Amino acid sequence: MINLNSIIIQVLGGAGASLLIFFSTLVISLPLGLLMAFPRMSKIKPINYIFGFVISLLRGTPLMLQLIVWYYGPYYIFGATLGLSWRVPAIIIGFSINYAAYFAEIFRSGIQSIPVGQYEAASVLGYSRTQTFFKIVFPQMLKRVIPPVTNEIITLVKDTSLAFVITYSEMFTVAKQIAAAKTTIVPLFVAGSFYYIFNYLVAFVMEKVEKAFNYYK
Amino acid sequence: MKNLKLFVSLISIFAVVALAAGCGNKTTAQVSETVPETTQAVAKKFIVGFDAEYPPYGYITESGTYEGFDLDLAQEFCNRKGYEFVAQPIDWDSKDLELNSGNIDCIWNGFTVTGRENDYTWTVPYVDNSIVLVVKADSNINAKADLAGKVVMAQAGSSALTALEDESDEEIFALAKSFKSLEQCPDYNNGFMSLESGMVDCLAVDIGVAKYQLNNSKGVFKQLPENLSSEQYAIGFKKGNTALKDEVQSVVFDMYKDGTFMKIANKYSDFSLPDMVCLGEYVK
Repeated sequence: MINLNSIIIQVLGGAGASLLIFFSTLVISLPLGLLMAFPRMSKIKPINYIFGFVISLLRGTPLMLQLIVWYYGPYYIFGATLGLSWRVPAIIIGFSINYAAYFAEIFRSGIQSIPVGQYEAASVLGYSRTQTFFKIVFPQMLKRVIPPVTNEIITLVKDTSLAFVITYSEMFTVAKQIAAAKTTIVPLFVAGSFYYIFNYLVAFVMEKVEKAFNYYK
Repeated sequence: MKNLKLFVSLISIFAVVALAAGCGNKTTAQVSETVPETTQAVAKKFIVGFDAEYPPYGYITESGTYEGFDLDLAQEFCNRKGYEFVAQPIDWDSKDLELNSGNIDCIWNGFTVTGRENDYTWTVPYVDNSIVLVVKADSNINAKADLAGKVVMAQAGSSALTALEDESDEEIFALAKSFKSLEQCPDYNNGFMSLESGMVDCLAVDIGVAKYQLNNSKGVFKQLPENLSSEQYAIGFKKGNTALKDEVQSVVFDMYKDGTFMKIANKYSDFSLPDMVCLGEYVK
């Protein structure tokens, strides 16, 4: 049982790397997703098509492959030798842009779920388009997208384990290494418990947020 | 009550079947053990000493028989010479005693030559288990000393990584401490991509893997002349027993020439044995 303590401490040592990916991705991809949702809904067809294609590419190819492209692409496509310092930026860029694509579609669905009548009413009341969006549409959209956004955030926690494909040792990698060194599967279950505990917290916090936003009921 | 009866009878059926299966195993094991004794008067015995806990060179299978790359080779040698093959598991610590007392004819078991060159009469090495250092062809790293302050990579869980993290080997430990960092890659392809794209400066890999990459991507990488660790396997005989050594060695050479050697090695490709075979360098 002393062994279990040391395993937990070792696995936790890799948790920082996972959390770094998680928080950086969240902070960048949520606003980026919103920014991508607008051109996706643009009435100008070429812009609409381009962003539709970019989002389908990001959602339609494995994140693992995208990480490899971000990491090795600069060298194999442009011949730029960036060194190991490129690894963390490549991971954060790869994760953020991939998740932004999912968030963009979630935000789009939220925005488009607001009835046209509200736009007409706002227009009658003399709201500008910007005012209409920020004062009427955006707050309602935010409330509606919380459940699907929570889904994505939970997936993100687990997806951080993909970072090892570009040699970044995060928590699950560390767990696998200890498992191999000590020939026991206990570290994998320890890591699994951490993912679960963290996701439980995520779900708990998001539920609170959802309740806080539920101010009309 | 009825259910309970059914349950008990099921349990007893299981027990009987398990017992029968257990007996079955035992009897087959006994048969295979007694067969050699009956033929011992006919053929000359060739007794190979080996450590039965050393896969893939020699190990005990779940059914209780001994298998392995080296045992297959020894069996093939005996077949060609008409000798009776006896695989004798030994206590690795008393291998010298067994060899010197004549209890075994040779040690044929992934037996490391490096460091024991003068203790036994050796055949030429047939397997190279060295760990080498690979850098980019245009790198200015040419020796271990140049690795100070550099980023070195090894595959997670590989013997190279184990070697670099081994604190008991002072020389390697000092070398590993001089690195800027020791990185891990999930697979060798990733490692060589990291090396080629300049993410890392050096890759520590098994010689078999390095050979394969160097042959398949000509001019991209180079191998440092110094190895991280050197380990070659050969067949060891009692010191002075040159006659038997020569006999075995010439047959092994024949086996290599007619392809049998590699055929046996390919049986153990899961252990990347075929890439580690270095006998070709010695066969004339």
